[in-house]
Amino acid sequence: MISSARGRTTHSNPREYVAKPLASDVLAELASVVGADWVISDPDRLLVYEADAQTAHRRAPQAVVLPSDTRETSAVARILHRHGLPMVPRGGGTGLSGGALAMHGGVVVATSRMNRILEVDAENRRAVVQCGVFNTDLSDAAAPFGLHYAPDPSSQTACTIGGNVAENSGGPHCLKYGVTTRYVTGLRVVLSGGETVWLGGQSREAPSFDLVGLFVGSEGCFGLATEVEVALVPVPEATRTLLAIFDSLEDAGHAVTAIVSAGLLPAALEIVDQNTIKAVEASIFSAGYPTDAAAALVVEFDGIEAGLDRDAEEAERHSRRAGAREIRRAETAEERVALWKGRKKAFGTMGRLAPDLLVQDATVPRSRLPAVLERISKIAARYDVQVANVFHAGDGNLHPNIVFDRRSPEETRRVEEASGEIMAVCVEAGGTITGEHGVGVDKKKYMPLVFSPEELDSLRKVKAIFDPEGLANPGKVVPDPETELPWSQAEGPGVGQ
Amino acid sequence: MSAAVREILAGVVGPDTLRPEGEAEQWRTGPGPGGLPAAVLLPASEEELAQVLGVAGEEGWPVMPAGSGRWLEGGGSSDVILVLSTRRIREMDVYEPADLTFTAGAGLTLAELTAATAPNGQWLPLDPPGWAVGTLGAAVAIGGNGSLRHLYGTARDHILGLTLVSGEGEILRWGGRVVKNVAGFDMTRLFTGSWGTLGVITSVSGRLFPIPERDVTLVFRCEDAKRLAPAARSVALSSMPVAAVELLHPLRSGGVLPNEASTAEDDAGLVVRLLGSEAVVGEMEARLRRDLAGELSEPDRLSGEASRAVHAGLGDWEAGADLVARLRLLPSELPTLLAEAESLGRLTRESSEGDSRCSITSHVGAGVLRFAVWGMPSTNGVQDHWSSALAELRGRLENGGGSLVLSRGPEAVTRRIGAWGGRGEEAPLVDGLKAEFDPHGIMAPGRLGL
Repeated sequence: MISSARGRTTHSNPREYVAKPLASDVLAELASVVGADWVISDPDRLLVYEADAQTAHRRAPQAVVLPSDTRETSAVARILHRHGLPMVPRGGGTGLSGGALAMHGGVVVATSRMNRILEVDAENRRAVVQCGVFNTDLSDAAAPFGLHYAPDPSSQTACTIGGNVAENSGGPHCLKYGVTTRYVTGLRVVLSGGETVWLGGQSREAPSFDLVGLFVGSEGCFGLATEVEVALVPVPEATRTLLAIFDSLEDAGHAVTAIVSAGLLPAALEIVDQNTIKAVEASIFSAGYPTDAAAALVVEFDGIEAGLDRDAEEAERHSRRAGAREIRRAETAEERVALWKGRKKAFGTMGRLAPDLLVQDATVPRSRLPAVLERISKIAARYDVQVANVFHAGDGNLHPNIVFDRRSPEETRRVEEASGEIMAVCVEAGGTITGEHGVGVDKKKYMPLVFSPEELDSLRKVKAIFDPEGLANPGKVVPDPETELPWSQAEGPGVGQ
Repeated sequence: MSAAVREILAGVVGPDTLRPEGEAEQWRTGPGPGGLPAAVLLPASEEELAQVLGVAGEEGWPVMPAGSGRWLEGGGSSDVILVLSTRRIREMDVYEPADLTFTAGAGLTLAELTAATAPNGQWLPLDPPGWAVGTLGAAVAIGGNGSLRHLYGTARDHILGLTLVSGEGEILRWGGRVVKNVAGFDMTRLFTGSWGTLGVITSVSGRLFPIPERDVTLVFRCEDAKRLAPAARSVALSSMPVAAVELLHPLRSGGVLPNEASTAEDDAGLVVRLLGSEAVVGEMEARLRRDLAGELSEPDRLSGEASRAVHAGLGDWEAGADLVARLRLLPSELPTLLAEAESLGRLTRESSEGDSRCSITSHVGAGVLRFAVWGMPSTNGVQDHWSSALAELRGRLENGGGSLVLSRGPEAVTRRIGAWGGRGEEAPLVDGLKAEFDPHGIMAPGRLGL
C-alpha cells in the first residue's frame, strides 16, 4: 500500500494485479495508440520481460507496450491510469536490481523504439535524445565533433540513456568525470497520470528546484523520461593505462589509497580479484592476466598529453611501494583495449564459475577499502561461499559478487546470509547499500539500514507528489511500511525467487 | 510584536541562541519595517534549530534561514519574523584526507573549510559570490557557483549529502560521505539550490579535490567586449581542462586586477585561469598564447598568489552594487547577452547624472552573464524605467529558453517585477514539494517565487 502526500491511499491493493491476464478491451485501447504490432500479450513472449540482468528476481508483466514517442507514451499512461494498472518503464533490460519487473502486475512500457538522437548541438556541448538510445550510440554520434557522453557503464553497448537516467548509472570513468546526474540537464517526463512535463533545460538552470537532479536515479518511480538533454564533454586528447599485478587484494586497495592521497586524479582505478581473473582467463575473452595473482589494478589517466607520463610514473611508484609484483603499460590503443579487457568482461564471464551469480553493489569510503575487503573475505570463508570481487576502487564502489548454484536451497540460504552481512559491514564502515545499480526490488530490504522511518516516509511522500495513485513502477526502492524491519528480520534477498 | 516573540522563544532556546534585540538591524531581510526581524537566533545544535522551527510552525512565523547573512536579500526582500542562522553549527564532524571527503556543520564558512583542508593539499573548488565570508550551508542552499564552475561544476556536483531540518522541524539526513550513492531518491539534489524554501540545511558532506600545483591567470585586454567574445568562446570550447573563462567589462570594476592603474578606463578583459600540474599549465598557457596571438594582444600573466587574488576579487565583484541581474541563455548566445548588456549600460548612463556605473562579468562556458549597477538614483522615474526594461529583457530571455534573476535590486524594482521570473511547467510539482516539506508555508517567503 502506498500512501500519497495528501493522506490518500491507492485505490486498490496492487498485489491483486498479479498474473491476471489483461482484458482484451485494454489491449485494444493500447493497440489503437501504438499499433497492434507493438503490444505484446502472448505469455511466451512476455517471458523475455520477466527479468533484467539480475536474474534472481522474476515476474512477468501482464503486457508489454512499445510506444514510439512522447505523445504515444503519454496516451499509454492515460489508458493504464484509467484502468488502475501500474506502468513499469524498461530500457535495455540490463539493470541489476530488478527495477524493470512488474512486481505488482501491470504493463511494461519498453522504450526500444524511442531510439532517435534528436539533436547534437556541438556549439553548446549538448545533445537531446529519445530515452531508448543506447549509451554508446550517443557517444558515436558526438564523436565527429570531438565530443562524447562521459558516463560509461560496463553494459554501455546495450543499456539505454533512459535506463541510465532511471538508475543514475556510473561506470569506470566516473571517478574523474562523475555519474549520470552530472550530465543530465533536462528531461521530458511522462507522469503516471499521462501528463507531460519538461524539467530543467540547460539554458534555464534554476530559478526553481533541481527536479532534474531529483528525477535522475528515481528508478521509474516518478514516471518515464521520454527525452533527455545531456551535456557532452571533449574526447580526451591522450591516455595512459597501466595494469598492476598484486599478490594480495588488500595491497591493491592500499595502492588505490596511496595514488589518490598523492593528489593524482586518475580517470579510472579498477580492481579485479583472483576469482574474477580466473573466470576471465578461462573464457574466450582471456586478457593475459596471471591467474595466480590475488588482484589486478587498472589505472588510467587522460587529458592533454603534457603531464600524463609523470602521472603514470607516479602511480606506478605508488603501486610498487604497495607491493605490486609486476606493472604492464599500454603503449598502443590495442594494448589499452587488452589491458581493459579483463575488467570489462568480468561480469560476463562469471557464469563459468557457477550456474548462478548474485551481483552485489555497495560503496564504502575509499580509505576503508582494505579493511572492508578483509572482512568480506572472512564472511565468505565463514559461510563457505565464493566471492568474486570487481570494483570501481577509486570511488570505493564494490561489487562483491557471489557465485552459487540455486538448485541447492542450503547454499542459497548461505549466499543470502553472507550477502546481508556484507551489506551491513559496508554501511557500518560509513558506506551505503548501492553505488550504481539501484535499489529496485533487490535492495529494498536493506533501505532501513541507511534511512530512518521518517526518512523512508519522506521518500514515499515525494514519490506521491509525482505519482499520487502509486502506479509508476510500484513496489520498488522504498519498502512498504509493514516490512520496515532490520535486514536480519526482513524477507530474504529473494535469491532463487 | 518583537517582545512577544522573544518571550515565547526565551522559554524554548538557550540564552546564547536568542541574539540581543540590537543585533536585528544587521540581519535585515529587506528595507522598511517588515524587513527587520522580530528575533534573530543562532541555535547551537540542529536539535535546538528543529525546536525553533517547531514553534515557528505553530505560531505561523515566517523564517529566513541564514549563514553569515551574506545573501539575506538575495532574490528580493522578504518580510519575516525570525532569522535563523546556522553560524554556531560549524563543527568539522568528519574529515578523512585519504577519502577526499568531509562532513561539516552548515555554519562553517567556505574560507574556514579551506583553512581546515589546505594543510592536506585539498580544497572545495566552489566560489559563489561572496565566498570569502559565506557559509557552506548558504552556498549549498543557493546552489552557488562562480568562475570555477567551468572546470569543477556547481554546488550540485560537489555535495554528497546533507541534513535538512524541514519546515516542520523534522531532522532528515540524505546521502552520505561516499562519492557514489544511489540508495533512495536523490533528495540531496532537491535541497541543493532550494534557497531555504523547504527547510534549513544544518550539515553538508562534500567532495574535495587536490589543490593544483600551479595557478596561473592570463588576462587579455581589448577596448570592446564584443571583440573578445569569439576568443572567449573558443577558449571555453577547447578540449583543454581550463579552470575558468570569464569575460569582464570594464576590467577595472570591482578591484579585480592588482595592477588596475595600468588598465584603460573602459578596457574589457578575457580572464582565463589555468590550474593543474606544472606540465599541464605550461602546455595550456603555450597553446592559448599561440592560438590567440593573431586575434588578441599579448596577455598579462599572474601566477600563484596574484592569480588567486584576481579570483578573490571576482568573488567580491558585486559588493556594494544596487542592482545585480543574472542573465542566462545557451552559451552560444553570448553575443546576444553582450548586446543586451550594452543596452542596459546605455540605460545606466541615461538614467543618472554621471555618478553611477555598471559592469558585466560572464561565465562564458555556462552562458551566464551578470550585470551590476552601482550608484543607481532612487527616484521613482528611474526605478520605473529599470523595471520595464528588465521585465522586457526577461521576456526575451525566457522566450529563448533562458532566464533573468534579479539577485539584488531596489525594493521598488524587485516588488514590481519579482526577482525570479516565470515558473515553468513543473510548477505543480514544485508546489507539491513545498507543501510537503514546509506545510505551514513559513520558510523563506518569496524566494523562488514561492
